[in-house]
Amino acid sequence: MTEVKAVEIKAKLIPIYIMGKKYEVPETLTIMKAIEYAGYQYIRGCGCRGGVCGACSTVYRKPGSYKIMSGLACQTVVEPEMYLTQIPFYPAIRSTYTFEKLTGKPEEVFDLYHELFRCVACNACSKVCPMDVEVMDYIAALKRGDIKAAAEISFDCIQCGLCASRCMGELPQYHIAQLARRINGRYLTPQAEHLKTMVANIEAGRYQESLTGLKVMDINMLKETYTAREMEPATGGEDWIPKENIGL
Amino acid sequence: MKISYYPGCTLKTKAKNLESSALACLDALGVEYEELPRWNCCGAVYSLSDDDLIHLIAPVRDLIRVQEQGFDTVLTLCSMCYNTLARANELMKNDEVKRGTINDFMDEEPDYKGEIKVVHFLDFIRDEIGWDKLKANVKNPLNGMKLAPYYGCTLLRPGDVSIDKSNSPVVFEECMEALGAEIVKFPKAIECCGSYQVLGNPEAALKVSNDIITEATAFGAEAMALTCPLCDYNLGHRQEEMLKKYEGTKALPMFYFTQLMAVALGVDPENYNLDLNQAVSQEFLKGKNLLEKVST
Amino acid sequence: MPYPEQLKELIKVVESTRAERVARKKKNEEVPFLSLDARTDRLKYHPDFKDEGRHELSIGPSKGYKIAHEMAEVLEAHSRVNPADVDLSKTDYETDVLILGGGGAGTSAAILAAEQGCKVIIATKLRHGDANTMMAEGGIQAATKGHKDSPYFHYLDIMGGGHFNNVPELAETLANNAPGAIKWLESQGCNFSKYPDGTMKTIHGGGTSRKRMHYAADITGAEIMRTIRDEARNHSDDIQVLEFSPAVELILNEKGECAGAVLYNMETEEYITVKAKSIIMATGGSGRLHIQGFMTTNHYGATADGIVMAYRAGVKICFLHTVQYHPTGIVFPEQAEGILITEKFRGSGANLVNIEGQQFVNEREPRDVEAASIIKECIEDGKGIPTPTGKVGIWLDSPMIEDLAGPGTVEREFPGKFILYKRFGIDISKEPMLIYPTLHYQNGGLEFKNTGHTSLPGLFVAGEVGGGIHGENRLMGNSLLDIIVYGRIAGKSAADFANENVNGSKLSLEHVVKYNEEADKAGIAKDKVAPMLLPNYTDARTREKQLTSHYVGNMR
Repeated sequence: MTEVKAVEIKAKLIPIYIMGKKYEVPETLTIMKAIEYAGYQYIRGCGCRGGVCGACSTVYRKPGSYKIMSGLACQTVVEPEMYLTQIPFYPAIRSTYTFEKLTGKPEEVFDLYHELFRCVACNACSKVCPMDVEVMDYIAALKRGDIKAAAEISFDCIQCGLCASRCMGELPQYHIAQLARRINGRYLTPQAEHLKTMVANIEAGRYQESLTGLKVMDINMLKETYTAREMEPATGGEDWIPKENIGL
Repeated sequence: MKISYYPGCTLKTKAKNLESSALACLDALGVEYEELPRWNCCGAVYSLSDDDLIHLIAPVRDLIRVQEQGFDTVLTLCSMCYNTLARANELMKNDEVKRGTINDFMDEEPDYKGEIKVVHFLDFIRDEIGWDKLKANVKNPLNGMKLAPYYGCTLLRPGDVSIDKSNSPVVFEECMEALGAEIVKFPKAIECCGSYQVLGNPEAALKVSNDIITEATAFGAEAMALTCPLCDYNLGHRQEEMLKKYEGTKALPMFYFTQLMAVALGVDPENYNLDLNQAVSQEFLKGKNLLEKVST
Repeated sequence: MPYPEQLKELIKVVESTRAERVARKKKNEEVPFLSLDARTDRLKYHPDFKDEGRHELSIGPSKGYKIAHEMAEVLEAHSRVNPADVDLSKTDYETDVLILGGGGAGTSAAILAAEQGCKVIIATKLRHGDANTMMAEGGIQAATKGHKDSPYFHYLDIMGGGHFNNVPELAETLANNAPGAIKWLESQGCNFSKYPDGTMKTIHGGGTSRKRMHYAADITGAEIMRTIRDEARNHSDDIQVLEFSPAVELILNEKGECAGAVLYNMETEEYITVKAKSIIMATGGSGRLHIQGFMTTNHYGATADGIVMAYRAGVKICFLHTVQYHPTGIVFPEQAEGILITEKFRGSGANLVNIEGQQFVNEREPRDVEAASIIKECIEDGKGIPTPTGKVGIWLDSPMIEDLAGPGTVEREFPGKFILYKRFGIDISKEPMLIYPTLHYQNGGLEFKNTGHTSLPGLFVAGEVGGGIHGENRLMGNSLLDIIVYGRIAGKSAADFANENVNGSKLSLEHVVKYNEEADKAGIAKDKVAPMLLPNYTDARTREKQLTSHYVGNMR
């Protein structure tokens, strides 16, 4: 069941070109497992192996097409004759800022990333994005000061950097999107009132007595209390309240 | 005499006869020459092919979005945007070769052939609503306001995208007249405000703008109507600089034409956003009792 | 690859019972929860209870403790580097606080330590943020809605999930600091899923009595990780990050305090030394040890390094006899094998269904009970679904969510998984997913206190590397919480230690020398070395042909 044993010899072998060099690999593998099968041990270019960390971005071409294709090595299945290379790192300048001092004005984003306005809407960024993020659209949103839209459009970004590698305006898109999302989360979305109240209640010691009660409770009693605790129904709405107010 | 010699690519292939004969002549005339040891194309290929189409990608993409939205006409407000979209559209409609190049570049989008009609707010009102209907909807006429409509360049030039006759337009005046303004026509109404020169040569732009304002004032205008944010920047936001620099220039209230239309149609004043105009503009409307009227 | 015909036929069975199951769900008619006794009975099917999978540790401070072979073997192994070869007379880096691990715990600790005025170095094996934190999907627990919930209930749930064996102080601190942790994340600009008025959306997780799972769509961990990493980068004057440079040994001083670490630059193959006033162990978990051969949801570098290093330096371990198997890992298509399907699918109403289209367990049991139930259904009762790759799984009926919450909900609430499956030609808003338990979380780890302190002065613990908070089984949403709460606590405590303590100056690796000797005496083979650092998935036939390669452990 381990990945070590996962490769069955009986799988059909197909040729792929890793950085131009031909290897025969089983056709069911992801690019990542194929590269390992070929004999490489990763140091760079491999992270979560689950499609969210952005370490294994890969570009490739297939015979008969001028198209540059892209994908995450850990998520993309090999195809016959694909020509590929991973891009484990691509330089992109990130602006440093003091988050507390921002207010959510578009000008703050413009000041940190002047290059935003070098975008010519060529769309190479969106085309290369392995997460199907409409990169050009969030850059367009930012140019018109719509930070919220940029935050939402860029939400699935895994910061692999492929967009920056293809940009003729030399933008570090994913860093700008990160800034937009943080501004959105803090300054353009209402902060949760119930959260403030709860933190204040805890600091005031409201639950300390009931909690200490549980902590010193005999284990059998604790098990009974656990079993008897009222369960909020799965389909209940926000306004559900428990029958008793023990512990509240 | 010895001189450096730059041949060029074609002379090494199809026009060898040009080079060989010329060099032979030099020899005959006793001129020594030395070919550049390291040279590249002079650039003629690129410049002559006029391949500066990349700036058209953005507007064409917007037009494709209009098609995706399911419409055949798109309305614009800013005269610069109107101009950019309309010109790109004309090119896509008429220039088969460039259209092919652009569509090829944007191979992730459906092909576009200029099917969308690009209109500006002014010609849209004129053609689709009509001055009579506009007039009928006026609740607070701009009576007594001596208003100079200023076109700037991009609504009228180049001719193939002009919303009216390029040199003698009337659409703006007719529109403002329907709202109840007293029109002040002045020659510089169709001249450039200085536009992007403000970035490279702000002094020159300031002078051009100042000339426009002083001429409109001399013709009796007490306010000016605009269609373009760049004109507003040059004519409105830089007025303070003009007042300091040029003697005799008087402050002239500036409005987007749509703000005046909103006043006349009696819409909720919240939509005027007068705080983004200079203070003098707001004062002016107050003086004309046009703000009070709405609020009652 | 899309589902082949034989599976499509079996999906029809699931579809045939769906309407009835949706109707039951709407009426709140759930499969009853197991009683505590029935849970104990069910857990016999859990891999933790397979005695042949474990042995007693032969050396070290927890000698005699019986844990999984794979974990025991790295703990009993020799050091990677001969201590005598390391020159401690001059160190390559010197700092106030050294943090080992660049995931969520290490990063939040770094921000807190820097805020206390400390210079910080984060040494991490992969890139900053390539960690299990990034992969956590479902959410983060906290009792933030006072009209129905409180740390009291959160504590009860934590204890019940952990079989009441948790260290009470650790669980209490977790529950009590949870809302503060969420508030901190919110103030850092984390985009939690909210109602328009700012109220956080919260749902149930396995073993929760109240809906207190906060989330950011289905990439909660990634949203948290990228946000705090961004903040750490704003402090680049104070926080230096050394990537691809995992620690391989702790360094002590003449007072017996932890005073630094030996790092291994995996790219240049140099061993480098860091002297620090305090050290935070935040190296995370161990899924890549593939305990009992299970597939794992963990990231590439999850190899228990921190436990190994600290164990050699005398810190005891606890709760490592239990390992968490996430009930729902992808078992087909093979390319996605082991990838986690968040519990939020079940929280949102998707049933677990056998080959007959029938439910067999409540979907909100604690993870160990849920996993044991799936294994029982497949192995004991033979009602699993055979996959084309010769494995067996259970259906997770995601299309139910569309019936319960409206069309489009699956794509909107689970964009990450929707896209993943779409690439394989499977639309999970219309077709169910095939799942099986997968190695997910290291319940136990190093012993530590609720202030982050360990028995080794100067060494602090944060995150998955620590044991005791979750007892024998962690509930969903308490690990993201753990890394933020204890990351912040460890950051503060380590900074205080660095600011107040007069450190010794004489650095030593004597404890490693002694440990190697102990390993020799116990007859541990010399070629067994740890930390493992990285797994090796190179095909065996390739390795056979690497005639001149010299391997130290898994690495050339």
